[in-house]
Amino acid sequence: MKMSKSARIALSLYGVLAILFLYLPIISVGFASVSKARYLTFPIKRYATKWYGKAVESSTVQDLLWTSLSVALLVTIISMVVGFFGALAFARYQWLFRGIFQKLILLPIFFPQAVLGLALLMWFNALGIIPTWKTAVVAHLVWISPIATLIIAIRAYSFDPSLEEAARDMGASTWIVMKEITGPLLWPGVVAAGLFAFLLSWGNFPLSLFTTGADSTLPEWLYAKMVSGYSPLVPSVGILSIVTSIVLLLAGGIIMWLVRSHNGTASPR
Amino acid sequence: MSPEPILRLEGVSKHFGEFTALDNINLEIDEGEFLTIVGPSGSGKTTLIRILVGIEELSEGKIWLRNNRIEEMPANQRPTCMVFQSLALFPHKSVGENIEFPLKLRKQKPDQRKSRALELLDLLHLPQSFYDKRINECSGGERQRVALARALAFDPEILFFDEPLSALDFRLRKNLEKELKDLHQRTGKTFVYITHSLEEAMVMSDRIAIMRSGRFEQIAIADEIYARPVSRFVAEFMGEVNLFSVSGDAGGNPVGTEIEIQVRNTSLGSSMKLSKGASATLMVRPETVHFLTGDETADFVVGGVLKAEYALGSRTQYKVEADNGDELAVEKLREDRFLGQVGDRVRLGWNAEHAHMISGG
Repeated sequence: MKMSKSARIALSLYGVLAILFLYLPIISVGFASVSKARYLTFPIKRYATKWYGKAVESSTVQDLLWTSLSVALLVTIISMVVGFFGALAFARYQWLFRGIFQKLILLPIFFPQAVLGLALLMWFNALGIIPTWKTAVVAHLVWISPIATLIIAIRAYSFDPSLEEAARDMGASTWIVMKEITGPLLWPGVVAAGLFAFLLSWGNFPLSLFTTGADSTLPEWLYAKMVSGYSPLVPSVGILSIVTSIVLLLAGGIIMWLVRSHNGTASPR
Repeated sequence: MSPEPILRLEGVSKHFGEFTALDNINLEIDEGEFLTIVGPSGSGKTTLIRILVGIEELSEGKIWLRNNRIEEMPANQRPTCMVFQSLALFPHKSVGENIEFPLKLRKQKPDQRKSRALELLDLLHLPQSFYDKRINECSGGERQRVALARALAFDPEILFFDEPLSALDFRLRKNLEKELKDLHQRTGKTFVYITHSLEEAMVMSDRIAIMRSGRFEQIAIADEIYARPVSRFVAEFMGEVNLFSVSGDAGGNPVGTEIEIQVRNTSLGSSMKLSKGASATLMVRPETVHFLTGDETADFVVGGVLKAEYALGSRTQYKVEADNGDELAVEKLREDRFLGQVGDRVRLGWNAEHAHMISGG
């Protein structure tokens, strides 16, 4: 289909606007973080990077980072393991209650997170568990491990079951089939799921708000400081948090690329 | 061939709920034989082969591999191996790693494995440089060879094939069929092959088993299946065929019930005789039917009008409409082709030795 010149210009303009719409807010946070003024004003009169220094030195921020990181890493590892086996049950094995399992496992994704957080908090209270960052790990897992399962399941759906059968036929035990065939073929999906799990946990606010108790994660702190006690420390911590996400995404991308170039394209024909 | 079969099936059945996929199968396969199981999709051939390699469990029956019962033995303990329809080459392993996979499972040393893999590449006419190739760098035909090499590396007692050639284009398939037959002769292994193409089966196999609705309809050498099928189903499975419903007259000669067939030879052999009133099907292959000229005659004669002519390269095929409207097929080599015109009135004839009587309607 050939487009007229004006249509092409309109389309490009639309594209640029969409991208501005997506990224302008983030960029303005970046600007806010380098403002010298204590209050949020625009345009920025004098620039300073001192807030980054403060952010790095602040023991509060270090605690926050440590809490967020602990939660996100635990959630990542657990949801990779749970997601791997969940995906096998979801996509690869025929069993009696598979249809129900497939629906039930995905349901938590669709719950409003605030409701899910509240429900979990009530349960922790009822069970006499005092909420800390550890309970937040459980809360995050309820929401994130289904997503990880789904991501790995998509991978599991796309590989030929006769690969496993062939390996068995040639004498491989169940463990060898897992180690030599299933594992390596699902690996890219597992890495992708881990990446998602980390990012979703790292940026999660509603579930953390209800379930961290006295502990606080980065997003919670950012919200609290926006409500009262704003200084450019807030956007600079925000930017640091984004940078962490980007670094992780890049690392994940590189891992995937390495895996793929080692496997040829491991994707099915 | 040795008198003792390498594989013996007795009363093998498989049920999926209400559905019977395999119905009391009995079969003996000789050592070193190339047996092809042919059937349309849904005939149970895939289920059977999956039971034989141990991926699927049978519902009833016994299977002996030489003198050992194997029906309870899991796939990874059976000394048999299958080339899958999808080939099941491991995409994350190189060609060499694929071929060495069964050897690695047996804990062979890497240098030993490699020299065996290179030998197999040679055997399958693949350059040794393929050893380090990725699977996705190989063409369809090359993948076939890699899959075969991997199966041979396993060194199975019986090598099973689940239609591995079905995805290839015609020319490549024809070449590989012949190569597979050569490979069978060179290795001396027992090959059991399943396909829906009887043509493929005829090129390669010693014996052919025709399967229909979970049972064997006929098991015989290729020529027997072609010339003397036991049923209409088998006759129609292999290409063009002319089938006539006939019944016996007072003299015991077959009389066409739909098409008028003149029987010119009144002293037909017993194979062409029918008791009075008994119905049967008379089969004649298109290439054994002749156009009769002048006062030429044959054991059986049918009249009709030439409807169409199709050039098939080395052969020419003709459609002749009999007086009742049924179509007959005739096939001639290009150099013997019929010189008449479409629309001409023709007389077709064939002799008893080329006809075959299938008992029953």
